Amino acid sequence: MLEIRNLDVSYGYAKVLHDVSLNIKTGEMVFLIGRNGAGKTTLLKTIIGLLQPQKGSIVYAGKEISNLSPERLYLQGFRYVGQEKKVFGNLTVQENIEIAAFASGEPMDVSLKKITSIYPKIKDFLKTKAGQLSGGQRQILLVGRALVGEPKLLLIDEPTQGLAAIVIEEIIHILDSLKKQVSALIVEQNLSLVKQLSDRIFLLKEGKMVREIISKSEESGIQDLEGYL
Amino acid sequence: MHYTIFYGLTIGAILYFISIGLSLTFGTMRVINFAHTITYTIGVYILITFVIFFKWSFPVGAVLAILAIIPIAYVIERFIIRRLYGDSLDYTFIATFAVALIGVDLIKWIWGPAPYPLSDPIGKYLILFDVSLPIYRVLMVISAILLFILLHLFFKMTIVGKIIIAALDDKDGVRCLGINVDKYFSLVFVMGSALAVLGGIFYAPISSIHPYMGLAILLLCFAVVIVGGMGNLKGTFLSAFALGMLMALTARYWPQGAETMVFIAMAVVLIFRPIDI
Ligand SMILES: Nc1ncnc2c1ncn2[C@@H]1O[C@H](COP(=O)(O)OP(=O)(O)OP(=O)(O)O)[C@@H](O)[C@H]1O
Ligand SMILES: [Mg+2]
Repeated sequence: MLEIRNLDVSYGYAKVLHDVSLNIKTGEMVFLIGRNGAGKTTLLKTIIGLLQPQKGSIVYAGKEISNLSPERLYLQGFRYVGQEKKVFGNLTVQENIEIAAFASGEPMDVSLKKITSIYPKIKDFLKTKAGQLSGGQRQILLVGRALVGEPKLLLIDEPTQGLAAIVIEEIIHILDSLKKQVSALIVEQNLSLVKQLSDRIFLLKEGKMVREIISKSEESGIQDLEGYL
Repeated sequence: MHYTIFYGLTIGAILYFISIGLSLTFGTMRVINFAHTITYTIGVYILITFVIFFKWSFPVGAVLAILAIIPIAYVIERFIIRRLYGDSLDYTFIATFAVALIGVDLIKWIWGPAPYPLSDPIGKYLILFDVSLPIYRVLMVISAILLFILLHLFFKMTIVGKIIIAALDDKDGVRCLGINVDKYFSLVFVMGSALAVLGGIFYAPISSIHPYMGLAILLLCFAVVIVGGMGNLKGTFLSAFALGMLMALTARYWPQGAETMVFIAMAVVLIFRPIDI
């Protein structure tokens, strides 16, 4: 459904992605791994339209989308959850969801039902200012918010970074429940999670795509990967 | 003393009206908007055009001035401010300052450089705590408080208000939810400009109307915004009245020092709470 070909991306004169190619098929959960500074976040931001590529193409459902804005891509079903776990801190959890519901034209109770179905405990926080949530709760709110409307492709940047083990379990559970419902490209350094959930894995090294692992049954492949991280 | 306090409230109200727009423009668009002086001044000149030249009533002139500023503010936002998104702050400052200077010349060209007098449109007094207060100024203070409540409700209760609060926090986050943030920023800008004109309309009869009237007051408003926290609406309200009061109290004992004190207060705040630009 998404096909990225020969992408070059720079910040000013500093080229960060070199000739990167990657594809995601409908319903797949694909992981992107790589060391700090490899360019993983840059790639996600380019897909969602926050950055413009200098070269290459991004084709979604047969159409070139590399020149589309994040606003337009949202309407096509793209959902981005950034690495900083930024919520709208001065608004309540409910209002955070309300904004997403407003944007997608979905009735608020439908949105709430979707989110409570992946994480029932959210009901206790609806009136809490999102800025007061813990890191794990923020992450869950962000993933939940991404399900509002008709998501087709989730782009999630390091969902478990900096979170406690129990919360990571919760997030694995949530991501697992989303498998097959939506396609996803997830950046993640936690290899046991990657192993558990991935359909395919791409490895990015110093801005270049070095390899793709076809199936997670390649146990030895995953072992190898640790060497790169 | 009662009169001094009342005078402080009046200045606070004026500073509040003008500062809201500055604070919101900085908070949402990250632009230091010196052109704010010019929307404010042009608004006042439109007012006197109706009131002095056409001899229409003051309230009618006031409403027309506010309506007239809406398209002007929209054009400034759409063609100047919007191009400055993401630029460094000093650059936005220089570009909007240029707009302000062009505006001053435009005003001199249309209305001439000489000041215009405008008298208190109500002219009646209210006796309170043994002092007689001009009703006009009482109205001004009440309007500022009402405006604060209205804005509070707008940002708390309406989806448009909530989107703006969200964008103050994380513009890209809002964009990634499919919302065209620029449209809302335009609205914020126009709203801030209209409120500045409202402030100008209130202020005009008790000050003098000349092409540079906006520049002097804008510096004070920058102090209000810095002390109150950029993009912080409650902070802007409190800081406008606090600095207004400080000006009034200083003026009572040291008339020349009133404005200086405001900037000293600002410097003190900056020492204890540096702004991260
Ligand atoms: N705004 C920016 N301006 C200039 N260079 C940047 C910018 N953002 C990132 N970079 C550089 O681009 C390279 C890739 O950064 P990126 O954030 O995409 O890496 P990453 O793989 O997501 O790393 P991490 O695991 O730390 O999140 C890094 O060398 C980084 O220093
Ligand atoms: Mg990253």
